[in-house]
Amino acid sequence: MEIIKSNITLDAKGLACPMPIVKTKKAMTQLEGGQVLEVQATDKGSKADIKAWAESTGHQYLGTVEEGEVLKHYLRKASGEETIDKKHPHVINNDDLQSKVASNEHIVILDVREEAEYAFNHIPNSISIPLGDLEKRMNELNKEDQLFVVCRTGSRSDLAAQKLAANGFTKVVNVLPGMSNWSGDTASLNL
Amino acid sequence: MSKKVAIIASNGGLFDGYKVFNIASAAAATDQEVAIFFTFEGLNLIHKQANQQLAMPAGKEHFAEGFAKANVPSIPELLSMAQEMGVKFIGCQMTMDVMGLEKEAFVYGIEVGGAVTFLEFAKGADVTLTF
Repeated sequence: MEIIKSNITLDAKGLACPMPIVKTKKAMTQLEGGQVLEVQATDKGSKADIKAWAESTGHQYLGTVEEGEVLKHYLRKASGEETIDKKHPHVINNDDLQSKVASNEHIVILDVREEAEYAFNHIPNSISIPLGDLEKRMNELNKEDQLFVVCRTGSRSDLAAQKLAANGFTKVVNVLPGMSNWSGDTASLNL
Repeated sequence: MSKKVAIIASNGGLFDGYKVFNIASAAAATDQEVAIFFTFEGLNLIHKQANQQLAMPAGKEHFAEGFAKANVPSIPELLSMAQEMGVKFIGCQMTMDVMGLEKEAFVYGIEVGGAVTFLEFAKGADVTLTF
């Protein structure tokens, strides 16, 4: 079983509704935008509740892993990143990338979302390097490859693409909008 | 934009307390603005002594075990949590007069007002609930 990385873990085990939600709200205030919260709960209704809560508060519900009696919910705090202007000049839309994937072209897809986002849903065979780790893990990538950089909405991948370009990667393409609208095949880790 | 939830609490049993404070806390935790108008028996829910020993409905006493097993917080706990999250409590002045109760008999932080105080809030509410 893979371990999903989170910034903060909240123990809401043994608590009845509405306590898991109340605790989740409080825990969220300790996170910075874009960080990941893991909520451990045993309340069976918490899955639907956490999901609905995220929808109405604007945070991102990533998914839930069940381990025996314990439900582990993963949430990513809203960050407002969608409003940043995108600067990397080379872009491709989801549909065009999807046809490249479908035609079995040899391409490299780099997913720069947080590991917990990648864990629940990603393009098969894509590589996971969260934006925050890119600097120190850039050496895992090949400068000669054509790299398609993807995130949820195209903002983090834009920053990643700029960073790669500045470090000598010449064939970097940002995928727009990215996973939020991806209709092609996806995979998830063995959770 | 945050939504507004207006709740009328007009019954004073233990089940009523849970219905009112659970919904109110959940709404507040979801960034909604919540006000509860406590009227008639509903005042029990915010009465300092009465709300520590709210009655189960007749014949439902056996649920006490279930409450303990499910680790459900007590009414005073739920109440202070709701207050902490900014839920507004309005005690009905007219009922208090009828019952001869002063504001001091109730938990700290309540407002006392008439029907119009509540209606003013409820006018702009997205959700209105009566318990």
